[in-house]
Amino acid sequence: MISGSIDESLRTIRENDGRIHAFLHVAKHDVPAIQPADSFPVAIKDNLVTTDMPTTCGSRILGEFYSPFDATAVARLRAAGGVIVGKTNLDEFAMGSSTEHSAFGVTRNPWDDTRVAGGSSGGSAAAVAAGMVPVALGSETGGSVRQPAAFCGIVGVKPTYGRVSRNGLVAFASSLDQIGVFSRRVAESAELLAIIAGHDPLDSTSSRVLVDDYRDGIDSGVSGLRVGIVGEAIRDLKGEVRANFDAAVEVYRRGGAKVETAHVPSIGYSIAVYYIIANAEASTNLSRFDGIRYGHRSARARTLGEIYFDSRGEGFGPEVKRRIMLGTFALSSGYYDAYYGRAQKVRAKLRADFATAFKQFDILLTPTTPEPAFRIGEKVSDPLSMYLSDIFTAPANLAGIPAMAVPSGFSSEGLPLSLQIMAPHFQEKVMFRAAQFFENETAYWRATT
Amino acid sequence: MKIDREEARRIAGLAHLEFDEPSLEQMASEMTAILGYIEMLRDADVTETAADREPTPLRDDVTRPSTDRALVEKNAPSFENGFFVVPKVIE
Repeated sequence: MISGSIDESLRTIRENDGRIHAFLHVAKHDVPAIQPADSFPVAIKDNLVTTDMPTTCGSRILGEFYSPFDATAVARLRAAGGVIVGKTNLDEFAMGSSTEHSAFGVTRNPWDDTRVAGGSSGGSAAAVAAGMVPVALGSETGGSVRQPAAFCGIVGVKPTYGRVSRNGLVAFASSLDQIGVFSRRVAESAELLAIIAGHDPLDSTSSRVLVDDYRDGIDSGVSGLRVGIVGEAIRDLKGEVRANFDAAVEVYRRGGAKVETAHVPSIGYSIAVYYIIANAEASTNLSRFDGIRYGHRSARARTLGEIYFDSRGEGFGPEVKRRIMLGTFALSSGYYDAYYGRAQKVRAKLRADFATAFKQFDILLTPTTPEPAFRIGEKVSDPLSMYLSDIFTAPANLAGIPAMAVPSGFSSEGLPLSLQIMAPHFQEKVMFRAAQFFENETAYWRATT
Repeated sequence: MKIDREEARRIAGLAHLEFDEPSLEQMASEMTAILGYIEMLRDADVTETAADREPTPLRDDVTRPSTDRALVEKNAPSFENGFFVVPKVIE
């Protein structure tokens, strides 16, 4: 069961967040002194809108924005006893893999404060890893829950596309975006996802498929489970990440799973496809930030055109501008077919490849990230090398399948490593069962308490 | 695909983004590097792929309460008599 005292959570934040900087806003007087017995503290990534706290998306362009409504996931959490203790840091508009692109400063990794917590949901991951909250919400477009969960040594889940309503999640790339969850233990993530999942009339892409009881049979092991190792993903993987992954696979073998190599031939194109589709969608979604209806309006603008150009020029940071530019280019006349059209075709091929693989396998495994948490500043001036840190996570977003990160041990430098489990559409239940088995057998989560 | 400064300027115009000259130059070279990586998509074999995606279901077109105008006004940079205010666009 998810549990934790609100007061203790707020105290831990006060004591530790000066060093970590997981939060952009912390609840103050609006947390009632007496809590119902089933209440629990939860942190929310600051691209999910809330009526009682500002929403910044880690950007200056939103100014002091207070949403007129709560995101559906936030409303469902509140109804289930969740008390929002704060809004967490992120790369601006969730565009990044380190929170270094936040307009309000980087979040530090609780395991080593010279390193990044990952991103874009780095604040939520660090808040859980540092014991400030038992659970948190993040969002994913290409790995923004699983990658920071891996870097911070906790559990991170991206559900099936459409499993959780996106109403109130500030849009980045609408065909990829999905709200996800963080926790220290697998069962807590299963419980949290069950609270926020399910159809919502305010999001047409939210699914009417019934939500499974994720904790039912979660401890029934992996005997006979068909486990696929994605051959194309790990072919060139060496060193301690490879050794750690091989050891994780062995845990499943010992548990009676049928482990074989799986093939997803087009998986190597994922990052290239991702950076066309995600940026094309971002360039259209972010056109709403116009300096007119909400957010920052440039003080020097004199004409309508200047309001658009100057407000956006001043309000957006460099990474957001880079992505809007790439997306605008990919959609522009003369280049649309060669870039956006081509990327959509390869995406369809990737989905077909996963569908074929899942005829033979119940789950697929890869490492979550190609390396443990990198140093602050190490990749920030090289956008492409930053993008490649999502190489194992982006395929699940493109295919729309559920995937999660589970702690799988530590590097020689004592940094967390992580196993990724992927499952077919709406098969979160088997994914949680496989993750729970791994947690029971290894108990790496203990190192985080 | 090489993006030069003039091409970057054209895209910035389409995207309604203001850049100074040094930023435009840097943007052009970064875009060139990223598009260089993306070139790999030309080699992908997509011949056998059929479109398998479900169309997005449409919800029923029924009226429901809209956002409270007072809350909209609170977030607007300039708002008068129920309207967003912008500089005059016609003479």
